[in-house]
Amino acid sequence: MKLHEKILTHYLSCNSPVDKEGYLYKKGERNTSYQKRWFVLKGNLLFYKDRPADRDLIGVIVLEGCSVQLCESEEQFAFSLVFSGTGLRTYKLAAEDQLSQESWIKALLSASHSFLSLLVRDLEKQYEEIRREAYSSDSYQRSTVIGPDAERLAQSLIAINSSPSSQKPGSGVREGRSYSTNLMLLAPPVSSKPITKRSPKLWPKRNAHVTPINGPAPPLGEWPLVSSGTLEDFGELHEHYGKEVKELRADWLQRKQQEEDKVEEDLIDFG
Amino acid sequence: MRFNEKELVSLSRQPSEKAAELGMRGPKKGDVVKKRLVKLVVNFLFYFRTDEEEPLGALLLEQCRVEREDEQAFSIAFLDEAERKYLFECDSQEQCQEWIDCIIKARSVPIPVPVFVSFLSPYSYEFMRKNLIFYRTEIHRLTGKDPLEQYGISDETRFQVNSAFKPVSKET
Repeated sequence: MKLHEKILTHYLSCNSPVDKEGYLYKKGERNTSYQKRWFVLKGNLLFYKDRPADRDLIGVIVLEGCSVQLCESEEQFAFSLVFSGTGLRTYKLAAEDQLSQESWIKALLSASHSFLSLLVRDLEKQYEEIRREAYSSDSYQRSTVIGPDAERLAQSLIAINSSPSSQKPGSGVREGRSYSTNLMLLAPPVSSKPITKRSPKLWPKRNAHVTPINGPAPPLGEWPLVSSGTLEDFGELHEHYGKEVKELRADWLQRKQQEEDKVEEDLIDFG
Repeated sequence: MRFNEKELVSLSRQPSEKAAELGMRGPKKGDVVKKRLVKLVVNFLFYFRTDEEEPLGALLLEQCRVEREDEQAFSIAFLDEAERKYLFECDSQEQCQEWIDCIIKARSVPIPVPVFVSFLSPYSYEFMRKNLIFYRTEIHRLTGKDPLEQYGISDETRFQVNSAFKPVSKET
């Protein structure tokens, strides 16, 4: 398949701002060592080259259909871009320090077109709701800004807020944690108001980013992120993934407990 | 330039809002119109030989300009080169208009936007980003709260207001 490269390089060099750039280590496909590269994130495209001043790009990764995950690795501050689907690749990357790692993960999580599309629709709805209220007589009675979905969002954000990666001694000696972040955002604590009771909504299991590895892609109706006709609230989708992460985290805590029962040695002798 | 071809091909197979068989002609002199299955997925325009599984090519719909060429045809120009156009021939005036509406920002976006935005595809990343910044700014102005805070992404660079796009101060 031909990817019209000039269009991409033109997009990269045009005057719209770059979303993030910096050095990352990238694990090669054939040569399995980690190579230091200069990465530039713009839109849903992750470009990379040898050095910032280089004109020639080595390559680009289109960030649609992938999830960002922490991963086990000999390399410190590693994370991976996992494309779900038969025969699809996982890119392994590593940052220079923990701050950079967290910052990149966060930037990449919110980079996909699908994510942005949902976010825009969510804000659009909020905006329209606010404007409607502004015209009605009892406008600012209810809590500002945040629509009903956001309260559930806030709930899920609190639950997953102290994610493993945000508890940090700087050692990073053992990267024993792995959990799928998908649409989850590593959020700071959000002060919650009393959550209004709502009857739980039954909705079909959605796997917008994660297709079964050995199966065919789900049929048309189940790709809400791509076909806007069946889009769910961003808030609801976010909460759904929040639940998934809660379970993964509980699982991780359990495994960590089991690991801690064994004697641990520093992998590096600090002398 | 290397790219994740398998993953991009996989993306091209996802359901799309807009897919149809159109006549397509490349930008070079001597290029002729060929029948292609053209498919819009996120901000990519894929084109296939009819009945083939793998697309022939992918065009990124960022920084492009869409124009009507005649009753049933439209063109997309990239790279600020008005001459390098891809031509698409439709079956009807209606179909042609639908495609233009899809690719060009002609849909009802209920906000006054600077003129240059009208050249951006509603599917393009840049277009969505600008919309998002607009809504974010407006919601903040009307309520005093930043709607992105709840998602923990307020400090992401891509969501910041930059000098290229100043929010229009709205009355009612």
